[in-house]
Amino acid sequence: MSPPGSSVALAVRGLRIAYRPGHPVVDGVDLTVAAGTLTALLGPSGCGKTTLLKAVAGLLAPDAGEIHIGSGSVLGVPAERRPVGLVFQKPLLFGHLTIGDNVAFGLRMRGLARRVRRARAAQMLELVGLPELARRRVGELSGGQEQRVALARALVLDPQVLLLDEPFSQLDADLRGRMRELLRTIQRELAITTVFVTHDQAEAVEVADTIALMLDGRIEAHGPPAAFYTHPATLRAARFFGGTNEIPGTLTDTAFDCGLGRLLVGAGGRDGPGVLVVRPEALRLRVRAAAPGAPANTVAATVLGVRFRGTHQSVRARLPGGGTVTATVPPALRVEIGDEAAVQLPPAACHVLPTEPHPPGARAPATDPTIESERSHA
Amino acid sequence: MTERPCADNAVRTALSAHDPSWRGAARVPRGLRIALLLAPALTVVVVLFGGGLAQALAQSLGYQPFLPARPLGLDAYRALWADPAVRASVGLTLRIAVLATAAAAVLGVGAALLVRSLGRSRTAFAALLQVTLPLPHIVAALAMVLLLAQSGALSRVATAAGFVDAPAAFPALTQDGFGWGIIASYVWKEAPFVGVVVLAVLSSGVAELEDAARALGAGAWQRFRHVVAPVIAPAVGATSVLVFAFTVGSYEVPFLLGRPFPATLPVVAYQRFRDPDLAARAPAMAIAVVTAVLVGLCALAYLALADRLRGVRVGEVAR
Amino acid sequence: MRRAVGSGLLAVGLLAPLVPLLLWAVAGEFRYPALLPELSGRGVRLVLDPAVRDALLTSLGIASAVAALAVVLGATAGRALGLYTFRGKRLVQFLLLAPAIVPTLAVTLGIQIFFIRYGLADSVTGVVVVQLIPTVPYVSLVMAAAFAGLDVDAEDAARVLGAGPVRRLLLVTVPAVRPGLVVAALFAFLISWSEYILTLLIGGGTVRTLPLLLFAAIGSADLPAAAALSLVIALPPLVLVALTSRLLTGRTPAVVGFGRL
Repeated sequence: MSPPGSSVALAVRGLRIAYRPGHPVVDGVDLTVAAGTLTALLGPSGCGKTTLLKAVAGLLAPDAGEIHIGSGSVLGVPAERRPVGLVFQKPLLFGHLTIGDNVAFGLRMRGLARRVRRARAAQMLELVGLPELARRRVGELSGGQEQRVALARALVLDPQVLLLDEPFSQLDADLRGRMRELLRTIQRELAITTVFVTHDQAEAVEVADTIALMLDGRIEAHGPPAAFYTHPATLRAARFFGGTNEIPGTLTDTAFDCGLGRLLVGAGGRDGPGVLVVRPEALRLRVRAAAPGAPANTVAATVLGVRFRGTHQSVRARLPGGGTVTATVPPALRVEIGDEAAVQLPPAACHVLPTEPHPPGARAPATDPTIESERSHA
Repeated sequence: MTERPCADNAVRTALSAHDPSWRGAARVPRGLRIALLLAPALTVVVVLFGGGLAQALAQSLGYQPFLPARPLGLDAYRALWADPAVRASVGLTLRIAVLATAAAAVLGVGAALLVRSLGRSRTAFAALLQVTLPLPHIVAALAMVLLLAQSGALSRVATAAGFVDAPAAFPALTQDGFGWGIIASYVWKEAPFVGVVVLAVLSSGVAELEDAARALGAGAWQRFRHVVAPVIAPAVGATSVLVFAFTVGSYEVPFLLGRPFPATLPVVAYQRFRDPDLAARAPAMAIAVVTAVLVGLCALAYLALADRLRGVRVGEVAR
Repeated sequence: MRRAVGSGLLAVGLLAPLVPLLLWAVAGEFRYPALLPELSGRGVRLVLDPAVRDALLTSLGIASAVAALAVVLGATAGRALGLYTFRGKRLVQFLLLAPAIVPTLAVTLGIQIFFIRYGLADSVTGVVVVQLIPTVPYVSLVMAAAFAGLDVDAEDAARVLGAGPVRRLLLVTVPAVRPGLVVAALFAFLISWSEYILTLLIGGGTVRTLPLLLFAAIGSADLPAAAALSLVIALPPLVLVALTSRLLTGRTPAVVGFGRL
């Protein structure tokens, strides 16, 4: 989904990496990152994100596939010579060097003169907001400061691609927010192509131009953050973001037949059996019986449970036919368990996705005609 | 928020006596408790060790316990200084100690780096590295005698291969004037000692620092010089001090593998100590004192140097 | 390729010197330039000799006594160092490190006459006492590390539950620092087991331990006997270290003990 006219800074094609034969951690990954953008590589722990990052950086050799940085392939180029910068989860600063020497480390490896190194290092420290700390030693800094130094150290070499592996996951929650801001500012200022690995959905949504969702070693979906909410690409992607309502049925053009009758949905789905997904915040719930003349896709429901969540309320309602949905309503709305309600599923917010083939050994789906996603992130 | 019940304070009082910073029910005051805890070990150190050292010093100055008082002086030290045998002994001791320590450090670090780079056989070799550690030094000395003597195993293999034709043609590695056999015996045990310690340091987090350095453009030698070496330096330094101290003060190994003359300082000290002439007692003590001072100076030098070099623990770095 | 050569050299370097030792232990006639000895059971028979058996028991007894005493005397100082900070702590640590650096021979020469005077010479007791010099400080340093990792709250919890000081010690403290105790005792045992010159100086030749027998055998050029005795001396340390190898990671100060053996 690169904007037209931009060049591709990082392209990965068909990448496969297996630590043990037959069990690939990265299983045929295709990923394109447009120059100057920040792509979040999002996924649960163990899905291969870090492995993919290390392969791009050159710390791991892939078993198959291609990696292109800029216009050239970097396979066979050792990590020391790849034009990438890497920031890890831990700062990994060199304890026997001062902060300034840490930042200038890459320049020293290249053989630059001391004065040049010092000037560049000072520049970078200024960029990350730590201008006066060049002479300090590693042990004197806080965790957040150390990560900023690690960032400066990676940037000082002016890499073509900046890779970050969950860089803020070890910091306190409030500090994380500030660091994200800082990263965003720097990334935009330098217009540096960045790949940011995270398992935190909210972080990805906040920071990224595009999100690449990685599940089980493959890129499940890749697009702007909003698309994951309004129009998820696959059922698994929708489930990863959590809380989506799902209604199984059959699609014919824009008509979806299911346990609730015939619902109108947005265009673009594939005919045949599928699952209708719609987000809780898209549903409209009114506490009154469904009236004639109600907008399309309005169904009667009985309120089963209400949870107050500060900024909104989460209402679970039983649908005719036995299934349930969750809807988001304003915090002040008066709704109680047992109320009769009318729930409208706006057609534009409803998308039908093909059912995922079940992996062998997984439990059979519940006989309940509608299923609610269990995971709720953020 | 519920209120904390008053019972909390009762618990606090009951607990307070343990934590040193809280006052509590009638208990031994903190300072006294620490002193009592330290007492047994410190008594051993002060009375036996300190007393022994003090006595060695005193007796080197001429003091003779349980005998009528005599004037004290530095005669014994002057005699040592003038004695060519003792000077040769000092030279031999230092030469052997420095060479053995250096070899143990280099080989130990090399072994650790090698073992670390192994794949599947790594655990086996890490265990193999520890095989010589528990062996008493006397056993190691005997093994070296049997291996390196002119009629020993190596010589016989050389003969079988046709390199030499008589025991005397094989280089003298034991009972020689240089101390090769002694050094070999020390290195056989102490290099793995350094190796095991360095390997442990290397196994705790250096790999990720090296990854960071690689991503910054550091090649293999650069990684060793700028990342690995600073991390292992404190361990190598500390173990080297221990090795040096041991090799200077060891009696059994140079006695078994060296010549009667020149002998290392501990051997000479013991020889003179056994001399029935009491006049040899003071010089024997003087040699002992010199040995202790030699080792002490080296340790102090290391401490001073270590501070300046600012070695670092990986645990502090990889945060 | 380089790694294979290197690991081969490493294995050879570590194990080769043991080969002649093993060969000589089962040797009858083994003159130059023979590569293999005529086999003989003499070495084996020798170690079954009552003199060797007595020396073995003496060595075992002394080493066990030293291990037990060193732990009892040194552990409390370890607790003080591990759990408290106090003025003079650096000095105490320095004092406890000094016996690991300064050769014990030098110290023993100085006090030997006092051992004679106070009747401790030529006795097992005297040998045990003198071997406390290198072992007690070592135990303190190992236990300091062990106590530093101790969770004091566990003792407090036991106290609030009504456990008196002895039960707290036995049921809470000792199990918590048990690995450190085992390692400290192990090394104290090994240091004592390997000791020669101190035993000779204080024991006066009356206290006959295995190392003394070994020296005698070497001195009389009875190499098969010496080799066989070496194996007897080497076996308990190897077995004990193998059994406790889990506890001996290189990062604990414990491993420093190997430098003395």
